[in-house]
Amino acid sequence: MRVELRRDAMFSDGSPVRAEDVVRCLAGHGVRVTSNGEDLTITSAEGSAPLDVILPRMVIYREVDGAFLGSGPFVVHREGEDELRFLRRQPNPNRINDVRLVAYRTPREAFTHTLKGDANLIFDLDPRAVEFFNGVKSLQVIRGGGRSTEAILFNLDLPRDERVQLAGYLASDRVRELAYGEGDCAESGQTQTSAGDVPSGREKLDVLAWGPFERLALAVRRTLGERGGEVLTQSIQEVLARIKERRFELVTARPLMWPRNTLTLSWRTGSPENQFGYSNPAVDRALDAGDWDAAEKALRADPPAAFICTRQHIAVVDSRIKNPELGPYDLLQTLPEWEVAQ
Amino acid sequence: MTRRVIALRLAALVAASGVLPLLLLAVFGLQILRSRGERASQEALHAIADQAAARVATYIAQQREMLRAIGMAVGNQPDVERRLADVSLDAPSLGKLRVVSANKPPFGRPLRLNPDQIDAALRGKEVASDTYIAELSPAMDVCVPSGKPGRAICASLDLLELQRQVQRIRVGEQGYALAFDRNGRLLAAGSGAMRAAVLSGEPVAESPLAAALVKGTTAPARLRNGEGQEVLAGWSTLSGLGWSIAVEEPVEEALRGARTALQFLSAGAILALLLSITIGYVSSRRMLATLELEERFRTAGQIASGVTHDLGHRLAILKQIQALAATNDPDYLPRIRDSLDAEVNTMRRFVSDFADLTREAKPQDFLPIELNAFAESIRSNAQGYAKDFNVAVEVQRAPSEIWVKGDRYLLERAALNLTRNAIEASKPGSAVRLRVDRSDSQAVLAVEDKGAGIAPERIATLFESFSSTKRSGVHLGMGLPNVRRIVTAHGGAVSVKSKQGEGTTFRLSLPADGRQSSSPSTPATMP
Repeated sequence: MRVELRRDAMFSDGSPVRAEDVVRCLAGHGVRVTSNGEDLTITSAEGSAPLDVILPRMVIYREVDGAFLGSGPFVVHREGEDELRFLRRQPNPNRINDVRLVAYRTPREAFTHTLKGDANLIFDLDPRAVEFFNGVKSLQVIRGGGRSTEAILFNLDLPRDERVQLAGYLASDRVRELAYGEGDCAESGQTQTSAGDVPSGREKLDVLAWGPFERLALAVRRTLGERGGEVLTQSIQEVLARIKERRFELVTARPLMWPRNTLTLSWRTGSPENQFGYSNPAVDRALDAGDWDAAEKALRADPPAAFICTRQHIAVVDSRIKNPELGPYDLLQTLPEWEVAQ
Repeated sequence: MTRRVIALRLAALVAASGVLPLLLLAVFGLQILRSRGERASQEALHAIADQAAARVATYIAQQREMLRAIGMAVGNQPDVERRLADVSLDAPSLGKLRVVSANKPPFGRPLRLNPDQIDAALRGKEVASDTYIAELSPAMDVCVPSGKPGRAICASLDLLELQRQVQRIRVGEQGYALAFDRNGRLLAAGSGAMRAAVLSGEPVAESPLAAALVKGTTAPARLRNGEGQEVLAGWSTLSGLGWSIAVEEPVEEALRGARTALQFLSAGAILALLLSITIGYVSSRRMLATLELEERFRTAGQIASGVTHDLGHRLAILKQIQALAATNDPDYLPRIRDSLDAEVNTMRRFVSDFADLTREAKPQDFLPIELNAFAESIRSNAQGYAKDFNVAVEVQRAPSEIWVKGDRYLLERAALNLTRNAIEASKPGSAVRLRVDRSDSQAVLAVEDKGAGIAPERIATLFESFSSTKRSGVHLGMGLPNVRRIVTAHGGAVSVKSKQGEGTTFRLSLPADGRQSSSPSTPATMP
């Protein structure tokens, strides 16, 4: 990929972004970067993820006096144990110029301070919790697309045919109705609407669950009927250990699924985030070619999981913000453009 | 006074007569509407609170009943844990279901039940904790018998649904409901501004009222809420749970209907008043025009009658004189001359009386007049006339000068009229007295005679036009009405006192000018 570095690109202190800054920041992240002074040539390293997967996750920065300087509008002003404060480098009228990221000890405390008006934004809310903000005039609820999908991962030792059946059978409205509230799940191309018969197999299937997924695990067990085994609710550490040792049949998880190129991170052979050890040459070829439709088709043919529910991101924001939207990649990506009513 | 002014006064009179009832209606209407509106609103709020309380009670009863059924159905099954987990999928409101037994470690037990309650539950008794706020919503721990000794089925009831119900209650645009536990802690709030207190546990303005209500004290139906807003409130309690429900609506909104009705009423009253004034004004002008026309015809008729009578009398005399002249007898010539002189004088007075009627008093032309001197002047003018009747005219002066302002000619006409009437009414050899006096701010000229007096039945109509009974001479009956017209135009008044057989006193009162001299008045000194 040949990249032209814009001449007006600059860090937030006004100094220009130079080719060497890009080279330095991208080095060691699975890409090779060469520069001829004006143009940059960026290529994906052998066995690494495609560039369009890697580049959106990269940050171009410079270290100045022991502090890191980026090209965004905000700079870290103060960093404490419970609070991070960012100030807009060049104050902009009617925009947010001062951001305090506060960590409260409990969700209840965070809710209380938001309701009192001490905090102007709270995000990553459970749909149940949103009801608490209904009718609060000083706040508004906003939603954005979810990036990850709640899923039941299969032990890859299960025969492929059985996994295909299970994927179709579990990614169904029946499971969703049992496990989630109405409207909790966004439409997803990964889900099936017809459950069919209970997949046949030689043994009962236990469901390993952790944290917030117990209800999903129970729903799956009931849907499996006679084949439903135990629901084993464990700590995340125990779950990860069992996954590593393949000591499970089914396990609840939340893999990244959007944007579609992130399929590479989750399912490409050798990807650091492919902790389940999934490997499918057809999927790899499609991902390398950037053919996401083909990759999804190949995944369905040899499924690592049943993709159940893509949940929306929900945030509650001060009503004085005119145009609050959650960013597609980063929840608060769009915050610098939020307009504040006077 | 013009017809327009009279019409306006009449209209104002009609309007004023309507204002008082309207004001009374407005005041009482306001009170009635306010009290009735407020009472009706409070009753409505109370009814809503009762309904909400009933729903809460029913919901919790249903949850506990469901838990009891589950306990009896699966409590003694060998795979009870798995069955309970499965049940919780269908009944999320029961929260996490668990088996509690004597050998269960303490951390596996519901947190809000004390050891005595756990023991009671293990002995087969149903026990429940107070309501508390779990993560974000109210909860209650309940244990029910399992059907197996030493084992109970426990649940942490998730009362989110109750919170939803309370939050959904809306009264008007701004009314809301609040739910409190027995200590006055806010459990659910329809008011967004008060919802933080649900999580923080901070008391709100209603908290002490709610806590007292559960203990049997009456809660006020009108209060100032946590936001400092005056609200009407309806209260209800759930004795078993120790909850209280308050449904509140800002007074401003609750009484808006009554206020609107009152505004309509006021607007209607004002419109009615304006309408009545307009109609009264228009009708008064029409009626006055009609009355004036009738009055003119009547006056013309009365004048014509008087003139016909008097001129007829004069004509008869002139015919007699004509007959004497026709004899061509020189002996009659002196008599004819004297008679013609008398008739000319009579006709002159006749014309003067009419001339008096046409002269208007103009305050801007008034001049100062000293009343003692004025009385002397009247005596002097009436002297000749009195002599004909063998009557004396006397003046009784005031001890000091008394000044008035007026049209000297008109006042003289009025005083002379009264003096001549007094002379005519006096017995020969008697005297007419002109008495000058002062009473408070009024200057008084009284004309007294010792004549036969006036019959009482005539006194009432004495100053009305054409009411004279003297038809023997030039008496159109305009004299006394004219006197009253002149005196009234000077801001004064005329009155009469008479006693038959003793005499009559006419009293002219005029506003004193205020420059009363302390020096004795000088006889016959004219200003």
